[in-house]
Amino acid sequence: MPEYALVGKRVPRTDSVEKVRGEAKFTADLGLPGMLYGKVLRSPYPHARILSIDTSRAEKLLGVKAVVTGQRDAKPYKWGVFPYTQDYQLLPIDKVRYIGQEVAAVAAIDEDIAREALDLIQVEYEPLPAVFEPEEAMKEGAPLIHEDKPGNICVHVKVDEGEVDKALAEADLVLEGHFEAPEQNYCQAEPYAILANFDSTGVDIWCPNAGPHMKARPLSRALGIPTSQVRVHRVYIGGAFGGRSEIQAADVIACSLSRKAQRPVKLVYTREENENCIRQRVGWITYLKMGFRKDGTWTVGDFKCLIDGGAYASTGPIAVSVPYMEMETTYPLKNLRYDGYRVYTNKPPRGMHPEQNRAFHMAVELHLDMAAEKLGMDPMEIRLKNAMTSGFVTATGARITSCGFNECIQKAAERARWKEKRGKLPPGRGIGMACGSVMCGFPMGIRGGSAAFIKFNEDGDATVISGVVDNGQGNESMAVQIAAEELGLPVDKVRLVSADTGICPLDQGAYSQAATLISGGAVREAAADAKRQLFEVASRMLETKPEDLDAREGNIYVKGDPKKSMPLRRVVINALANNITIMGRGYRWPKIDNEREWVTNPRGQFATTYSYGCSIAEVEVDRETGRVKVLRMVAAHDCGYPINPMAVEGQIHGAASSSGIRCGILEHILWDGGQNLNANFLDYWVPTALDVPNIEPIIVASNDPFGPFGAKEGSLSIYMSMQAAIACAIHDALGIWPTEAPFTPERVLKTLGERGSH
Amino acid sequence: MIRLRVNGEDYELLIPPNKTLLEVLREDLALTGTKEGCEDGTCGACTVLLDGKPVRSCLVLAVEAEGKEILTIEGLSKGEELHPLQEAFVNYGAVQCGFCTPGMILAAKSLLDSNPSPSEEEIRKAISGNLCRCTGYTKIVEAIAAAAQSLSGG
Repeated sequence: MPEYALVGKRVPRTDSVEKVRGEAKFTADLGLPGMLYGKVLRSPYPHARILSIDTSRAEKLLGVKAVVTGQRDAKPYKWGVFPYTQDYQLLPIDKVRYIGQEVAAVAAIDEDIAREALDLIQVEYEPLPAVFEPEEAMKEGAPLIHEDKPGNICVHVKVDEGEVDKALAEADLVLEGHFEAPEQNYCQAEPYAILANFDSTGVDIWCPNAGPHMKARPLSRALGIPTSQVRVHRVYIGGAFGGRSEIQAADVIACSLSRKAQRPVKLVYTREENENCIRQRVGWITYLKMGFRKDGTWTVGDFKCLIDGGAYASTGPIAVSVPYMEMETTYPLKNLRYDGYRVYTNKPPRGMHPEQNRAFHMAVELHLDMAAEKLGMDPMEIRLKNAMTSGFVTATGARITSCGFNECIQKAAERARWKEKRGKLPPGRGIGMACGSVMCGFPMGIRGGSAAFIKFNEDGDATVISGVVDNGQGNESMAVQIAAEELGLPVDKVRLVSADTGICPLDQGAYSQAATLISGGAVREAAADAKRQLFEVASRMLETKPEDLDAREGNIYVKGDPKKSMPLRRVVINALANNITIMGRGYRWPKIDNEREWVTNPRGQFATTYSYGCSIAEVEVDRETGRVKVLRMVAAHDCGYPINPMAVEGQIHGAASSSGIRCGILEHILWDGGQNLNANFLDYWVPTALDVPNIEPIIVASNDPFGPFGAKEGSLSIYMSMQAAIACAIHDALGIWPTEAPFTPERVLKTLGERGSH
Repeated sequence: MIRLRVNGEDYELLIPPNKTLLEVLREDLALTGTKEGCEDGTCGACTVLLDGKPVRSCLVLAVEAEGKEILTIEGLSKGEELHPLQEAFVNYGAVQCGFCTPGMILAAKSLLDSNPSPSEEEIRKAISGNLCRCTGYTKIVEAIAAAAQSLSGG
């Protein structure tokens, strides 16, 4: 493995000192002179026509400076991630489609007055029949949520490769099943908030986001102003997890209130609003058939998925194709049929990622274990037999360019002492294994790539300008570390200006697992470009050729003769003295087929590369209470190459905890029709430090040919697989096959009871 | 009019009696290191120390804190020098998004003040009222254990 000065080293994150001192400012911490406070009036109905809204009494309340409604203030613009899924009028004009949907909003001199004003707004609704389950929503005669979407089908992705029926007929073993996972909340630590300042030059906003450019463009259209007049500023962000990816109704509301009041407006959501009215996680139902040969070769898969996306398409249509794509890059399959339906229901709209782990990957992984059991194989053996390898092209045409999958399985098994434990643990104890791969750098249209600049200051320090955004993963620190490595500067000599649409070039954001692969790659190219220019100048100063130079620890030196050296700072000053400006420039685009389309043509190279991983969980199940206790989680992830191993470990920890404990054991939304019953941390149980066991991360490096320093994404294969590993471990412990996540005591006891009665 | 002692400094404040300590810290004293995550005392992001004991400042009225020593995250470091807990959180990679970090560090400080060499179980228990959505807690627990060692000169 190559040895670098900084890359691959455990470098403390550049943002961590500010954060431990309490200096890091999140949106709710910000304020501007004359700032007003916003509050939103929400629909009490899951489906209703808005007949009239009377805001006159609210407007007369002392301290109220602006009131907005859809009918009066909204532009005729609907948001949607594809042209054919633009269904979301962010401030509704005619209809509300879920409980909690924004109806009107107020800006006042304080929050109490704003709240009081909401009570003075009178809305007349005509309630409409509503539907809450995807299978009900698809039936003939079900209430139509969007008039132009028959059957309430948002999108349908169909893939049929090879000869599925023939292969099923010829298979030695065919297994059939049905799996479900209900909706969850992401529960980002920071409730959603936005500060907007609309004036004659346009609008400045600060808000949690997973891509500032992904906000600016639709927001400009919703406000009817040029994109260049929307400036999204960098601010610290308290988690995203897929739920901060797109424009929110709150954004349009805060900007519209500020525009009307001609004052800055801050709108901070409550925890309940955050859980209900900002994108959360879908509900998922999978029906599947999997066929095997006697030797354990998985030959055919036939899948049908129903995805409960709530009232609007959001970014979710992308996620309809992701499951089979990531499955066939994990286990190559010649015969594959997949029908994925994203269905509208009268519930809050759902985002996209990483969803399919819960009821799709779990279904696949449990069926691999079932097949292994029936064929007399070890679960590890059947996975190794079917595991993807580098150089393979999938049935739908994706080439795998780097793959440490085998190594992940071997290393995780070794650490977890798989061979000594599987099938040999005492009663009530079990160990399970599951695997996954994840797309890195997928199509994002004209915002799929990233560019970066590097400039130098008079003291020789570098400033990197990149659109990269950090939701907590460490993306900012990653960009700094990459630039410092390439320029041969210490980390503290590199500053970053990022996530600001007024300054930074386009970037895909913390989306498509591309922050390191694409944004980091662009930063590396910009640094290499700057270095070439520095070496030009330095070669004249050191009387040598540019190609004979190298840079390390702030010095530029002659290779093989490190004594012939000078500080980079002197080179920068010398350049300026000779009227030369050193300015590095770099850009990267995902390496994908341009013909592919998520829904209509989901074939071809859909992602630049893929990460791989293997999760192993050990559990103890109380047969009396049904309680599953996770004792240990081992997670091996192929991240290509770890830019910062400490940050990659942190990501793996988070992924194992989220997938294993959140999705596997604790978290699910409870509904009464369209009413979320547990949109708070008292009733929606999230893992505490006592619920999560020690997590053992293993980093595997497959050195991706495209990624900067060989890097891919840092942990999501574990996010895809740890929950399934727990399901498989429960089977090892009790002999039951879980079919619905999370594996709560009630569900475990129910499955135990069902087996008993057979 | 109330008098509050925050991070060793005295403040005289005219505030409505229904204002929480969290609101006063953030809005009147601009100490925004203390975060609001849930409004109902369940997430721990608003943890501050009141006479050395961790409290959820969203559940404490400011008037109740009168006459007590209030410590927020801003009062933990000595000038530029980080507290060993802060140092350990940085060096052990225990910080990701950072929203829970101030509350987490103060809960840990209260633990280490009363129990200088806690077991892993005791650390986990002490921070079990502080929710983190990013880290899975492993590195936070490691950082607190390391800080305990460094504080006791180990």
